[in-house]
Amino acid sequence: MVDATYSPRPMRFKVRNLRLWLPLLWIATLIIAAVFAPIFAPHDPLAQDLMLERLPPFFIDGSEPGHLLGTDSLGRDVLSRMIYGARIALFVSVIAAFSTGIFGSTLGLIAGYYGGWWDRVISRLVDIWMAFPPVLFAVLLVAVIGTGLTSVIFAIALIDWTRFARVIRAETMVQAQMDYVDSARIGGARRMATLLSEILPNVLPSIIALLALEMGIAVIVEAILSFVNLSISSDDPTWGSMISEGRGAIHFAWWVLLFPLIALFLTVLSFSTLGEGLKKQFDPVLK
Amino acid sequence: MNNLHAKTLDIINLNVTLPNGHRLLRDVSLSLEPGEVRALVGESGAGKSMIGKAVLGILPTGISISQGEILLEGTHLNALTPATRRKTIAQTSALIPQDPLTALNPVRKIGPQITDPLTRIHGWTKARALARTRELLDRVHIRNPDRVLNSYPHELSGGMRQRILIAAAFAPSPRLIVADEPTTALDVTVQKEILRLIRELQQETGTGVLFVTHDMGVVAKISQKVTVLFGGRVVEDAPTRDIFENPEHAYTRALIAATPTPNASIEPFRPVPPALIAELHREIQADDDRFSKRAQP
Repeated sequence: MVDATYSPRPMRFKVRNLRLWLPLLWIATLIIAAVFAPIFAPHDPLAQDLMLERLPPFFIDGSEPGHLLGTDSLGRDVLSRMIYGARIALFVSVIAAFSTGIFGSTLGLIAGYYGGWWDRVISRLVDIWMAFPPVLFAVLLVAVIGTGLTSVIFAIALIDWTRFARVIRAETMVQAQMDYVDSARIGGARRMATLLSEILPNVLPSIIALLALEMGIAVIVEAILSFVNLSISSDDPTWGSMISEGRGAIHFAWWVLLFPLIALFLTVLSFSTLGEGLKKQFDPVLK
Repeated sequence: MNNLHAKTLDIINLNVTLPNGHRLLRDVSLSLEPGEVRALVGESGAGKSMIGKAVLGILPTGISISQGEILLEGTHLNALTPATRRKTIAQTSALIPQDPLTALNPVRKIGPQITDPLTRIHGWTKARALARTRELLDRVHIRNPDRVLNSYPHELSGGMRQRILIAAAFAPSPRLIVADEPTTALDVTVQKEILRLIRELQQETGTGVLFVTHDMGVVAKISQKVTVLFGGRVVEDAPTRDIFENPEHAYTRALIAATPTPNASIEPFRPVPPALIAELHREIQADDDRFSKRAQP
């Protein structure tokens, strides 16, 4: 930790910047595409044209100039659907990650700092929760509470809070042992105040890293639920439903599946790399 | 506070136990007059730090006071509600911790870490707290107080951080300071300076100090009274001079004999004899038996 300061600065700087900027670049692209979807999308994502079904992307013979990444089995423009799909992916990832994070971190902080019964109850709950296969659980949950975006977000938060609770509990326990927590208590700080002003800032880098990771996971879970048709209606353009639909035609129209898959892959990778980068950025000792 | 003539600290038959009933402190009694420095000595696990933690109300989770009384400035701490107890302790006491590297919050600047208790508990204005902090940083020979107040802990050296912690402890002029091996984590040259600072400030403010250490050399330099502990029991309690000139207990004599001297190359190192340790353990066993008999009926 301490000798990080002595390693040659310029080198560290470059590598870390790249790790931070490449994901940021991709996510910024996504955000812009999502916000200005009506401007960027060349076609209506729902417009079908059965005369122009399964057109290949621009670099393959037989493509139409208007359809850059080709069309799917109903003649809908793949690029337009991906751009509109980014809206849903981003919306779900941000809202789901934050609700998961707030819920899980709160429980983790309480379990880690208050200990005793709090810890026993929360830890057992985490154990029980983690015994369920998450995807099955999500499918079951959405099937019960009904499909739709809110259900998807709710399902993600309800399943994945354990990730935050576990990590933040462990980190809180480490921080709670530190002398500065004792010093704050001797200085007359209440337990809650100690938790919020002494411990929380120290576990915040981990929360941020987990948040970014969770955004990636949320994108995947949403895609999985779309894939099995449990997200929003299958007409709406989501990456998951596109992959699901493209699966049937993979031998002769692979682009319908491949492009959303690449978008999904890059987004998840970007979020997790960004998480690591942010963690370092927020840590005054590593900085 | 309640009683101007009260002792700064009075511990009566204090027993501190683990959840399984094992005692970490066994009927410890000691007292501290205003402005007095009392050293708590003993080997690792003797319960020296545990006394300080019990007094300051920071016993680790699960460890609790099972019997006995702690009087802080004449106030029975056990009789208070947790919130009042916390306030009473905060208003009268401070801690100089063992490890300066973990005693300051790494993500907060030094300034608010020192001034927070002053404004929160002592009700000082921000300006007054800052002025007092600057004054004390100056006293502990920190040249550029404003830069230090705006720094994060990792930007400063260990010795500097320990001096800051001393300044922070003395800032509210507490009646009691628990110094928990404040020099153990530092190298020898810095140790001497830190000891001198603690003694100087202690004499100026008239603060009573419980000085936890395992170094008999430090004991001789800083304290007026000594409590020697073994296995959570008080082995000997006497003025420092008597401890060195006329130690009563064989264990105290052995501890003093085990202290390295500049002539160490001539005199061989003399550890505490195993027979004596065994004898002390037998006494502890007998003590525990009596204790459980006392607890049962």
